[in-house]
Amino acid sequence: MALDVGKFIKAPEYDIKIITHRDVFQASACEEDRFGDECQEMSALIVLDAAEMKRMGIQDRANVRLTSNWGSVVVRARASPREEQKGMGFMVNSPWVNTLVSDETTDGIPAFKDIEAKITISKNGITGIQELLLL
Amino acid sequence: MEMTEPITWTCTGCALLCEDIQVHIKDNKVEKVEHACLKGKARVYGCKHTAISTVDQAEVDINSAISQAAEILEKAKNPLLYGWSNSTSEAQVAGIELAQTLGACIDSTSSFCQGITINEIMNGSIPSCTLEEVREKADVVIYWGADPMSSHPRHLSKYSYFPRGELRQRGYEEDRTAICIDVTQSRTAKICKAMFFSIPPGGDAEFMRALMDGLAGRVPKLSYDFDVKRILELAAVLKKAEFGVIFAGLGLVYSIKEEFDLILEFMSTLNRFSNFSLIPMAGHFNMRGFNHNLHEKTGFIHRVRFTKNGPVSGVEYSVVEQLKHGADAVLVVGSDPLASLPLSIARRLKDIPLILVDPCANLTTRVADVTIPCGASGIEVGGTAVRLDGKKMDISPIVQGDGLSDEMVVRRIMEEVS
Repeated sequence: MALDVGKFIKAPEYDIKIITHRDVFQASACEEDRFGDECQEMSALIVLDAAEMKRMGIQDRANVRLTSNWGSVVVRARASPREEQKGMGFMVNSPWVNTLVSDETTDGIPAFKDIEAKITISKNGITGIQELLLL
Repeated sequence: MEMTEPITWTCTGCALLCEDIQVHIKDNKVEKVEHACLKGKARVYGCKHTAISTVDQAEVDINSAISQAAEILEKAKNPLLYGWSNSTSEAQVAGIELAQTLGACIDSTSSFCQGITINEIMNGSIPSCTLEEVREKADVVIYWGADPMSSHPRHLSKYSYFPRGELRQRGYEEDRTAICIDVTQSRTAKICKAMFFSIPPGGDAEFMRALMDGLAGRVPKLSYDFDVKRILELAAVLKKAEFGVIFAGLGLVYSIKEEFDLILEFMSTLNRFSNFSLIPMAGHFNMRGFNHNLHEKTGFIHRVRFTKNGPVSGVEYSVVEQLKHGADAVLVVGSDPLASLPLSIARRLKDIPLILVDPCANLTTRVADVTIPCGASGIEVGGTAVRLDGKKMDISPIVQGDGLSDEMVVRRIMEEVS
């Protein structure tokens, strides 16, 4: 039987700065049902520059693990339809991205729009809302 | 199908509080909604999973849940009362009275949102105006770190860009200039077309200083790559404005919060040449109402603790600091902190007694020691609220709920602890 060498090789990690934003479609889906599939699909998502994704070997709609000093989640990666600034990822405000936000503040305002994280391809499924509660 | 007569309703989907929504009601249920955006529709149709009365995650009658909540708060040495941005002003006032009775801390979502901006407007340091003035007079609007097409979908069509106004009869085609300053080409930025200025994350303060240089006739200097000529052109547009408005989003507020006086300096510089106001893009429908109501009672807009010597305010009384190392019991009204706060902070809610008052089941109800359902504000419960520009608005219920309002729940808790 041939040895699958690939499974022993760790996928490369890249530094990324995550910026959060609002989205009316996600907000209305989550207002209706915070535990629903639609809310999860629109929340557990990171949008990246298409050329950056290519450089990192991440395909559109692939699952990626995002890890910061404060937590780790698996979300879906999507290519932005436009050119974005390099090294940046965009996530809509949700419990998924909030898992990555630091608890350190000097002014009582967490760094929701300035999240330093690592991104890597993941073979795991997207982190579910119930799993977030256990983190 | 027989069509019912519509009711004109003020939407509580966001802090724009659109007062022109038409709702058709049949058999005490919403049948059809007209004029509302997606957020408004989601709000009026309500959540799929409503909250039920629980103690220790087991269903109980509402009276038992209220009694348990009162017992928890009475026993606590340092209770925190948090949320309030999705409640009517009447419920907020009841919450402030409960905090005073308990000697508790009270804070709202404005603590990590637009509170810092609202504070400067309320103390007169930043000039502001109403949305009606924007609609009738504004010729230059700047969406800075804000994307109202995503957060307040009717903002541009109802007030800030597309409508004809008293002094702007040619509307957006000729009479209004919309400018967007942001880190990505948002939906709002697309509308602003060539007047979209893409800046790097955290680059707002430098851009603001460069604009002030441009206004003063100096050559702007920036550490990041940006066409200086475009800044000079923008400065010229701002100088010529007859009635300009900056809509400050969280992108701007978070970026310059550590040197917030810069906004004051910028507005002051701008108004040496022109006539600009600033309006904070508050999200939840009555976030600003909490600031006004608490200010009226204490002189502070948020982050208050009631002590024997009177109310005090400071960062140490903020929800974030209290959850990290302060509160020994928490009452949450109309918010889902487990979803909206960093998990690194919200996680502590699992370790301390937690009471949740909300119409809907949410992430926080899954870990709450006590859950008390209430009627949805603006749907089953009426009252007043404060729009994002500070205008007080009446909110009327559209259907008859069979439960208590959040104000009634808070007042019932107060009766039991008094």
